[in-house]
Amino acid sequence: MLDGILIGLSTAFTFQNILFVIMGCLVGTFIGMLPGLGPMSAIALMIPIAASLEPSAGIILMAAVYYGAIFGGSTSSILINAPGVASTVATSFDGYPMAKSGKAGKALAIAAYSSFSGGVIAALMLLIAAPYLASVSLAFQSTDYFALMVLGLSAVAAFAGKGEVLKALLMTVVGLMLSTVGTDQTVGVPRFTLGMLDLVDGISFLLLVMATFALSEALMAIIKKIDEAKREEERKAAAQLGSMAVSKEEVKEMIPVIGRSSVLGFLIGVLPGAGATIASFLAYGTEQRIAGPVKGAEFGKGSVRGLSAPETANNAAATGSFVPLLTLGIPGSGTTAIMLGALIGYGIQPGPRLYLDQPDVFWSVIVSMWLGNIILLVLNLPLIPYIARVLAIPARFLLPLILFFSLIGVYFVSFNTFDIQLMVLFGLVATILRLLSFPMAPMILGFILGGMMEENLRRALLINNDSWSFLWERPLTLTILLIAAACLFVPMLSPFVARMRAKTKDVTSTGD
Amino acid sequence: MHLSKDRIGGLLILLFCLVYAWQSQNIRLLPFQLNSAFHARTMPEVLAVLGIGLSLLVIVFPSSRDTLSLRGLNWPLGLAFLVLMSIYGLAVRPVGFLLATSLFLMIGFAMLGERNIARLVLVAVPLVVLFWVLMNYGLSVFIEPLPAFLRS
Repeated sequence: MLDGILIGLSTAFTFQNILFVIMGCLVGTFIGMLPGLGPMSAIALMIPIAASLEPSAGIILMAAVYYGAIFGGSTSSILINAPGVASTVATSFDGYPMAKSGKAGKALAIAAYSSFSGGVIAALMLLIAAPYLASVSLAFQSTDYFALMVLGLSAVAAFAGKGEVLKALLMTVVGLMLSTVGTDQTVGVPRFTLGMLDLVDGISFLLLVMATFALSEALMAIIKKIDEAKREEERKAAAQLGSMAVSKEEVKEMIPVIGRSSVLGFLIGVLPGAGATIASFLAYGTEQRIAGPVKGAEFGKGSVRGLSAPETANNAAATGSFVPLLTLGIPGSGTTAIMLGALIGYGIQPGPRLYLDQPDVFWSVIVSMWLGNIILLVLNLPLIPYIARVLAIPARFLLPLILFFSLIGVYFVSFNTFDIQLMVLFGLVATILRLLSFPMAPMILGFILGGMMEENLRRALLINNDSWSFLWERPLTLTILLIAAACLFVPMLSPFVARMRAKTKDVTSTGD
Repeated sequence: MHLSKDRIGGLLILLFCLVYAWQSQNIRLLPFQLNSAFHARTMPEVLAVLGIGLSLLVIVFPSSRDTLSLRGLNWPLGLAFLVLMSIYGLAVRPVGFLLATSLFLMIGFAMLGERNIARLVLVAVPLVVLFWVLMNYGLSVFIEPLPAFLRS
């Protein structure tokens, strides 16, 4: 492990890579701060630049953008009560009331210290857990990988919002369908190309991500009428931050919260499909319960604990979501799904072999997490008053620029104008689906895992002489598939069970 | 039937799944694949069945009864931007990057309410030129800057 850390340090601590971490953190904060644009859009917008770099530098850049975007999202949550992403919604519960009471600087500082601690502690846990898990998963065969991918996809359902399971699953299937467009990898037969040469290579992953996130988010902002009075309020909030000092008592209050929320966030982040949003809400709820009636009553009114808990947990979960990506090659969240796509674009197959075959990539990602968190604290926090001015850029300039960067990002990779037209089409469809409240992240997850899932299934069948018996004969495959089935059916059945229980209760109470 | 957001989305995706299922039958199978357990059509066929089943479930059991309201949404502006992006895609090669992008941005700013022509030009043009220089000389990504008739 020590050798690995040294490899990581020597790769990450080059002048060029440190520069990428600084740039990534700043750009990520900048993009994450824009209401509506989250880490997924930020990373998607970075892919064309990352593609021109060597793999470890590209991944370091994207990881830095990821952290920066989460930090930026927290800033807009605190300052203007406009969370850029779902994972920072819980931050606004106490961050915004604190900012409204004239303590915006303090709220930002608490958020930054909590994010930093959560990120650093979780990176330490990743350092210990990832190599161990990678060595265990070396024993995995293609049948197990197929099962793991099924688990990754079904976990989407387990963590979808209340009543959203069916929609999440449907969008996953749509993503899987889109992944089948293009030439079949094994026999070279074209599928769903509609006779168009431009579709022979399939749909570009970057195109799909840009269209469904950056482009459709900008389009959503365009069609929702801009409230100039609100924008003026945002400009004022961004201009007056107040002191950033945190008192000793507040630090004392934060330390145990950070410890608990880091562990909780990391563990939730490791679960495929869970991610930072669930972690932040769980940490908030847990801390509110632990705080007791007096301190608990402060939650929602500007509580230090209420701000620290979700901030720590969402950053820890962001780090935790790298565990399944780096060790199993399965993305733990929508954001790591985009990173997986980028890694595949580099010709790198994440999974247990990554740890052995490309230790520089594996370890430099982990080391860059520490570096990224330090940069965020040392560089971004003092710069926040200046970066916050991004909130003052008029939307009429910002939105066309986001559209331009999305389009040109895709065009610069393929130099095919057909891609721009396809992107416009996907952007339209994604915007309609967003208006209809259909989630986009499961679709991306399905799209990325689709090709690998088919390949592993085909390989498994080939090894087993075209027999499907491996699904129940190999204990590991069967166990993973059973967990996947549980992930799938428990959330589906729970509303019915709850309804049944309520009915039984009603009957009993009427009987009484 | 109450046409909620879920049901509209479910119907749209059902339509897509039906077209997908129909198109999956057009995938050509090679002779040696006909009797194999897994061939080029297997995954699409399974996905089509899953997609149709799930979209029907979404239609029958919608998670919310919210209806889609276009009130308060400036959808013609959204459509206009989609058209603008499509035209940009068609124009970027023949018209050249500098002119096509500058026009795209200026029209975009104007569509969102910027009326000061000097500001339109001063924001768009330097930014486009700077971006082109950065891509061309910084990242060695070349894109034709000038219109076709000015190229040597």
